[in-house]
Amino acid sequence: AQLTAAPLSALVDEPVHIQVTGLTPFQVVCLQASLKDEKGNLFESQAFYKANEVGEVDLERDASVGGDYVGVHPMGLLWSLKPEKLLTRLAKRDVMNSPFQVQVKVCDPYFPIKNVVPGAPKDSLTLERWYVAPGVTRIQVKEGRLRGALFLPPGEGLFPGVIDLFGSAGGLIEFRASLLASHGFAALALAYWGYDDLPPLLEKVDLEYFEEAVEFLLRHPKVLGPGVGVISVCKGAEVGLSMAVNLKNITATVLINGPNFAIGNLHVYRGQTSLPTPTNIEFTSSNALGFAEFYRTYEQTGDVDSRYCFPIEKAEGHFLFVVGEDDKALNSKAHALQATSQLTRNGKKNWTVLSYPGAGHLIEPPYSPLCCASRIPFVSPNIHWGGEVIPHAAAQEHSWKEIQSFLKKHLILDVTSQL
Amino acid sequence: PMFQLIVTPSTALADEPVTIRVTGLPPSQIVTLKATLKDEKENLFQSRAFYKASEAGEVDLEWASALGGDYIGVHPMGLFWSLKPKTAFRRLIKKDVMNSPFYITLDLYDSVSLNDSATIQPKASQMVQRWFSGPGVQRKQIREGRVRGVLFLPPGDGPFPGIIDLFGRIGGVVEFRASLLASRGFVVLALAYFAYEDLPNKLLEVDLEYFEDAANFLLAHPKVQRPGIGVISVSKGAEIGLAMACYLKQVVATVCINGSSVVLDLPLRYKDLVVTPIRLGLERTQVHVSGAARFRYLTDDLWNKLNPQSMLPVEKAQGWILFIVGENDECLDSRGYAERAMQQLQSHGRSRGRMLAYPGAGHLIEPPYSPFCLASWNPGVERPFLWGGDPADHAAAQDHSWGEIQKFFRQHLIPTRSKL
Repeated sequence: AQLTAAPLSALVDEPVHIQVTGLTPFQVVCLQASLKDEKGNLFESQAFYKANEVGEVDLERDASVGGDYVGVHPMGLLWSLKPEKLLTRLAKRDVMNSPFQVQVKVCDPYFPIKNVVPGAPKDSLTLERWYVAPGVTRIQVKEGRLRGALFLPPGEGLFPGVIDLFGSAGGLIEFRASLLASHGFAALALAYWGYDDLPPLLEKVDLEYFEEAVEFLLRHPKVLGPGVGVISVCKGAEVGLSMAVNLKNITATVLINGPNFAIGNLHVYRGQTSLPTPTNIEFTSSNALGFAEFYRTYEQTGDVDSRYCFPIEKAEGHFLFVVGEDDKALNSKAHALQATSQLTRNGKKNWTVLSYPGAGHLIEPPYSPLCCASRIPFVSPNIHWGGEVIPHAAAQEHSWKEIQSFLKKHLILDVTSQL
Repeated sequence: PMFQLIVTPSTALADEPVTIRVTGLPPSQIVTLKATLKDEKENLFQSRAFYKASEAGEVDLEWASALGGDYIGVHPMGLFWSLKPKTAFRRLIKKDVMNSPFYITLDLYDSVSLNDSATIQPKASQMVQRWFSGPGVQRKQIREGRVRGVLFLPPGDGPFPGIIDLFGRIGGVVEFRASLLASRGFVVLALAYFAYEDLPNKLLEVDLEYFEDAANFLLAHPKVQRPGIGVISVSKGAEIGLAMACYLKQVVATVCINGSSVVLDLPLRYKDLVVTPIRLGLERTQVHVSGAARFRYLTDDLWNKLNPQSMLPVEKAQGWILFIVGENDECLDSRGYAERAMQQLQSHGRSRGRMLAYPGAGHLIEPPYSPFCLASWNPGVERPFLWGGDPADHAAAQDHSWGEIQKFFRQHLIPTRSKL
């Protein structure tokens, strides 16, 4: 039997065509993928396929009959990877110098019976999944108060600038910015707490810090103006929305599963403050495995009382809301609805909502495995993010394309409209 | 202290409800009620719920609605059935059913307590005992001929309706359901059929004559009501129970909980008859997001290419059959199997079958207040089994079905005047 995959080395958000030949007609085989992250955590997936009458399996054509996914899913082995240790999240730290290596094997069906050692695989190969395209450069940013990493595509530019904000994990998360740079954006992965000499704990959202970031990006010789984009998730989206409302030159804002009001922290900008919204922590639920779900805790406050909501109608740019309807950490669907209703009431049409049934909180670039629960710093217990594996994967695939189109559409104006 | 936590009764059988009340709180105070249990292997199980006291400073779980925690809404026994293991995938099963209860500690905190804290102490605590056998119930180890198991006898001379209790692929003997039924007036034989004493270590076939020996043993017991016995059975046990109903005239009332109505995986043998099993398509095993294995679809294409000889001949059953079905069973398509069996009965003009299907219930339908278990380890398999179910719906199914099961056995095993 022979296992092939093309391309063997690719960007992590690019599909791979996996095929098996040389089997007997209608032979049932198991395809397995495994990956070790930078800390040595093992992730694995498997799917069972039945070869056709000439002994071939083609993941672009054939349906998996069992395993970590069923149905026709050419990239299923990647996005259904599961950690050996429950609650481990897959996140690449070093995005420049090494890819994730994914071992793919075809073997006889193997069932998790104790003391049964699986036979040797019939064939195997290794995929390289990169977070940067060739020629992308990374510049450590330590200017003024700013801390982060700027990723630039190869060439002279000019490139549309995007600020990338993550959420409640703190620190500096680079993998999405590096991918955006691989697709032609000048992307600034911006840290705002828990990194370098930034506050170890986020105390307040100081919008002037983010304003510095906007100005820094626009000053850069390779960045196309006159405005920048923002891509933001969770707590980052709370900040992203606040930026769009208060700051100039924010042309396009992508808000993934974020609130439309301040949560937990004061927002300040030039003497003006937005108070954090009161929360009813007694509305925290626990799922059947004991993971905490926080999405109900603003049910009586931010979800229904517009006093707390950011005055989104004051924002000048465009909005793309990306909503996972199965989000268990935040009531993302309600927040997007509330924000867009507020825009509509004020006669504004500068928004689009992409709402995905079955998708959870952590909507990431395509083929990222679903992390349904994990720990974040300073919060106990473990948090249930929500999402079902197959619809979540579909949401990641669809939204990533839409996000890039949205950013390009609004950041790259054609010449005539600039006159 | 001003407030009181009142939990009654403090000692009871595990299938009896408990009332939990808090008084003397400040009006509208948010409180946490937490339950903790350590099983016989020192595994910790916990649950908690958040309540808002009334204007009068009371929380009474009979009418108070939990705002959050391990369940939401009005669930007087929620703290019991939502107990979760600290280590994932552990299942709560009482081993010693005679000499000790489960001890459950109920703690009251006057704030929202999401986690355990070494420093914050509860404001009040009560402990309850949950017993699996009532006063006067006797337990006897059984080694008669080939038959291996444990017999539970109610106090008194009887005669009492006799029941054989069968569990599934967990193997060995599981006693807690049998001992509870004995506490309710039945003679119950918790019957082992593999991985116990000198029985085979692995289950390779179902030899119905073994189960007939067990039925004959029970019927011969001086305290057991004649002329027929009942069977209560779950999972693989329920497939065997249904086979007993079909072939053994000694069996007059059978409860099948989430079992198959076809012979699966292992051959069924009874005297000269050998039934070829339907193969389990293990390549159809699915993996749940938690990593647990979901076996529900192993026989997905079954009904299209079924060999009719592998179907259990329910039309031959002379007694009564009660199918208990969890519609959200992720281990087996219980509803599908029960419906097929019911159709088969009806198409042969037999009217002694009944199905109770519970929406939202999973595979492990047990006596009331048994903690909901989404997935747990099974011997010999490296992935936990996904059982399925929605916790609150599953608890309601356990509550309702237990009463129905006992009614069913009394109705069909205890002769009434009209039957004379």
